[in-house]
Amino acid sequence: MHIPDNYLSPSTCAVMTAAMIPAWTVSVKKVQKEISKVKIPQLGICAALSFLMMMFNVPLPGGTTGHAVGGTLIAILLGPYAACISVSVALLVQALLFGDGGILSFGANCFNMAFVLPFVGYYIYKFIRERTHTKSGEYGAVIFGSYFGIVVASLCAAVEFGIQPLLFHTAAGQPLYCPYPLGVSIPAMVIPHLAVAGPVEVLFTLLVVVFVRKVSPGILEAAPRKKTRGIWGLLLGLICLTPLGLLATGTAWGEWGADEIAGIAGFTPAGMTSGLNYSALLPDYSVSGLPEVAGYLLSAVVGAAILVILFKLIASVKKDRPEAVLDANRK
Amino acid sequence: MENVPEWLKTAEPYTPLADRDRFIDRSIFSFLGLISKIRQQSGRKNDRLWVSPVFKLAFTILEIILISSSRHFTFVCLMLAYLVVVLAILPAGDIRKSLRGALIAAVFTYLILLPSALRGNRYSITMIPAKVFASVLSVNILSLSTRWDHIIGALKRFRFPDLFIFVFDITIKYILLLGNFALQMLYALKLRSVGRNRSKYASLGGVGGTLFLKSREMSEELYGAMECRGFTGEYHAFDKFRFTGYDAAYLLLNAGFFWLFFYFQKLA
Repeated sequence: MHIPDNYLSPSTCAVMTAAMIPAWTVSVKKVQKEISKVKIPQLGICAALSFLMMMFNVPLPGGTTGHAVGGTLIAILLGPYAACISVSVALLVQALLFGDGGILSFGANCFNMAFVLPFVGYYIYKFIRERTHTKSGEYGAVIFGSYFGIVVASLCAAVEFGIQPLLFHTAAGQPLYCPYPLGVSIPAMVIPHLAVAGPVEVLFTLLVVVFVRKVSPGILEAAPRKKTRGIWGLLLGLICLTPLGLLATGTAWGEWGADEIAGIAGFTPAGMTSGLNYSALLPDYSVSGLPEVAGYLLSAVVGAAILVILFKLIASVKKDRPEAVLDANRK
Repeated sequence: MENVPEWLKTAEPYTPLADRDRFIDRSIFSFLGLISKIRQQSGRKNDRLWVSPVFKLAFTILEIILISSSRHFTFVCLMLAYLVVVLAILPAGDIRKSLRGALIAAVFTYLILLPSALRGNRYSITMIPAKVFASVLSVNILSLSTRWDHIIGALKRFRFPDLFIFVFDITIKYILLLGNFALQMLYALKLRSVGRNRSKYASLGGVGGTLFLKSREMSEELYGAMECRGFTGEYHAFDKFRFTGYDAAYLLLNAGFFWLFFYFQKLA
């Protein structure tokens, strides 16, 4: 995903470098808070590690191999701020000394691989990890974090490519840098990452995390206390968004009423005219006398509340069983 | 011979099953290439091309900016001509390495831009591969003609904080040290990979994971060694910079490039 020079205009490169300056400043500040100034040279070793992780060939089914970036891996092992600095230094070494990745596009490469990749990957990993306490939950967190980290990073790179013909062209409309617009660059970059580079990244990240967990579990961050407040926030957010459904006019496929089916099929099937006729409490999620939006919100709140009550009752019944008590003790 | 047990006397023909473990070989090659590149440049005592590293670094970046911003093929060709002349001064091994990197990048760019050319866009396919070739050649020339610690030291002139230069220096040293360590592990893995290896993925995770744990250990050792020697967090990068006649000539040459760039811009 290293963007070479001359694909992005110098002004795009300047903007991306400017965008990275606050990220670098904040990362350095956060890292300095955790480790003293005397220990900062250790970041050099982290950068060396991050550089070397990019050298490994990961075997893929079919006999081919691939390279991972390892941004989310470094973020899981060292924290996202240390990862930002390490990957940036690794990219600088690659660009300046190995000629791999552009000099001008260094800022853009850092933005994609040292900022977006580790932070998106890490926060997805953290979000899932805080809500599961099982080993498979942790591995799921690693899988989703590393996969979406690299896919979102590739999306950013694709957007950086795709806006070039839009913004930088001659008077005649001739693109000066990357000639592929968003409609081409996004599928061209994101699809290979979804299909190949993503799984390679996931595989490599998972393998190393599994090994480190097995051999030296204390070295990774201990699982933070279970946070469930986020779920309530999510639920509340989703409830508030339900009225968006009103924007979709028409009836979903297959959910036609007896009145609509006549217009679609030309006749009303006998089973629908003389079958079961159930009148609900809140037909079509509406309450007579209230505007539609209010009806939707009320239905969402009441429906969510009923489901929460139902599952809490089921869980409390399960808790009283002797096996459930044993399981709780084992954890 | 009487004490040799029976099971030792029976022949046990074993033909290892074929397996696809190219990933070990490829990983070994990437690490070997990396280590040899670092070792080669540190083996050099003096820089080539006579100009001080500060100017070399500054003007390589500025030349890349000019090449990238130019809209005139003639200007890009003139810069290419200059780079080829500089290349001719370097020894054959360096020429081969610089050209290889630049050609691979240019061909790759050409292939990527083919679909756009087939749809009638002639500008991109002429300009961009040429620019890519020139930029990569320029960086390779810098990297092969200057010791890397001199390039890093030159950053001090650009107001980079001393501690950053120190971190950068340590990065290169530890890429070498950790790289060697990883290489030894990969050799060990290769030697033990006889026949079908059902735990390829676990092996790779093991090499990567052990590398991480080793890096933690080395981190602590580095900190301990530095503290024992009185490091208190202050690092002063020293740079010996003397402005020579070569530097003056190089300065004038680059001023000429600037003038040429604006001359061509005005032509349009």
